[in-house]
Amino acid sequence: MSWQAEELKEKGNAYFKKGEWASAETLYSQAIQKNSSNPLLYTNRANSRLKLESWRDAIDDCLRSIELMQENMKAYFYLAQAQISINHPNEALSSALMAYEMCSRSKQQTNNAQTISALVLRCKKAKWEIRERDRLRRRSVVLGDLMQKLEIDKKRDLDELDERVAKGGVGKIEASEERADIEKNASNRMGDLQTAFAISNPKELAIREVPDWLIDPITFEIMHDPVITKNGNSYERATIIEHLKRSATDPLTREILTINDLRPNIALRHACQEFMEQNSGWVYDW
Amino acid sequence: MSAARRLARELTKLHEHLPPGISVALAEGFQEWRMNIKVLDDNPIYAGETYQLLFRFGNSYPIEPPEVVFKQTPEHPIPLHPHVYSNGIICLDLLDRQGWSPVHNVESICVSLQSMLTGNTKRERPPGDEQFVRSNRSRPRDINFLFHDNDV
Repeated sequence: MSWQAEELKEKGNAYFKKGEWASAETLYSQAIQKNSSNPLLYTNRANSRLKLESWRDAIDDCLRSIELMQENMKAYFYLAQAQISINHPNEALSSALMAYEMCSRSKQQTNNAQTISALVLRCKKAKWEIRERDRLRRRSVVLGDLMQKLEIDKKRDLDELDERVAKGGVGKIEASEERADIEKNASNRMGDLQTAFAISNPKELAIREVPDWLIDPITFEIMHDPVITKNGNSYERATIIEHLKRSATDPLTREILTINDLRPNIALRHACQEFMEQNSGWVYDW
Repeated sequence: MSAARRLARELTKLHEHLPPGISVALAEGFQEWRMNIKVLDDNPIYAGETYQLLFRFGNSYPIEPPEVVFKQTPEHPIPLHPHVYSNGIICLDLLDRQGWSPVHNVESICVSLQSMLTGNTKRERPPGDEQFVRSNRSRPRDINFLFHDNDV
């Protein structure tokens, strides 16, 4: 049975390479009927289903594949892509982080590290966008409530004035002056309130620049998994490894440097994370 | 990795600040840039001339070095230097795969070449220039230079 499955998988791979996703998916399904215990068949089918944009089916495949094999970077990687496509950024982010972690543990890590890093970033951005949308909605509700309260105050003052006029306590000219005062006061207050809300929006105030110490000196992008070398310089893990594969030297000092000499720079990673969280939005497109 | 993103950032920085004697001649797209350099001190070999550098970037820039040559144009001669062939090909360890480091960038290459010229006192081409220029068909990045006189 299993050699038949293998043969069908090869055929499926050939279709996949040609970009015929639907045919590839059919062949992988046939292969799975022959051998339902091979996790790779599910990840391959998940990948063609991603191409076909059948996200839910892709998710099912990934989950089944993970059931069969826990240490399954590919499955988590595809899973994250499908989850972000159906707008589940929280789940997508944790899947992408799982994939990244497995990738950095494995020997041939770098081939995928950059793609996965990019996906992690996309998930974070999607997550932030949803939070931001909620925040804006909440803010406008609060602003709306307060504006309404000012409106009520104004109306109460005007009503009081009308009462006094009706009782004959105030003259007509006096009353119209007082009315203008009330109107002016209220509109000043509302203006102040709106300005306060506008100022409190950090997006309008923050300087949109990433400090140099958060930037990978090779790609010039903000780091998400920085590692430190013997001489104290930090780089994004994926890019420095890409360099070390070609030349096992420290980029700055040219001393011998190997992948095993790299250590995670945890404090810097937290600094990068915090910066991303405080400046999200623009920082993703920076 | 995206060479284009890194180059876009380099370009922004170059527009903000350029070291003296160095300017961007043409930087459209992320395949080829042209930079002009001048030697600023009074080295008589290079006085009054401006040279043009042609940069070609591959997709794996900056992990791989760019290809950099001097380009001859009506306004820009090829500088006379024992490491610069008369067809513009430059023999500098920094541009070689072995000597390259991804922390270098367009600006630092220009500065290195500028100082390579500044420090030179010989009005010479590299040994075997004529023969090399006549027979060389490889691209600069595929040539294995022998760094025979690293003190120049």
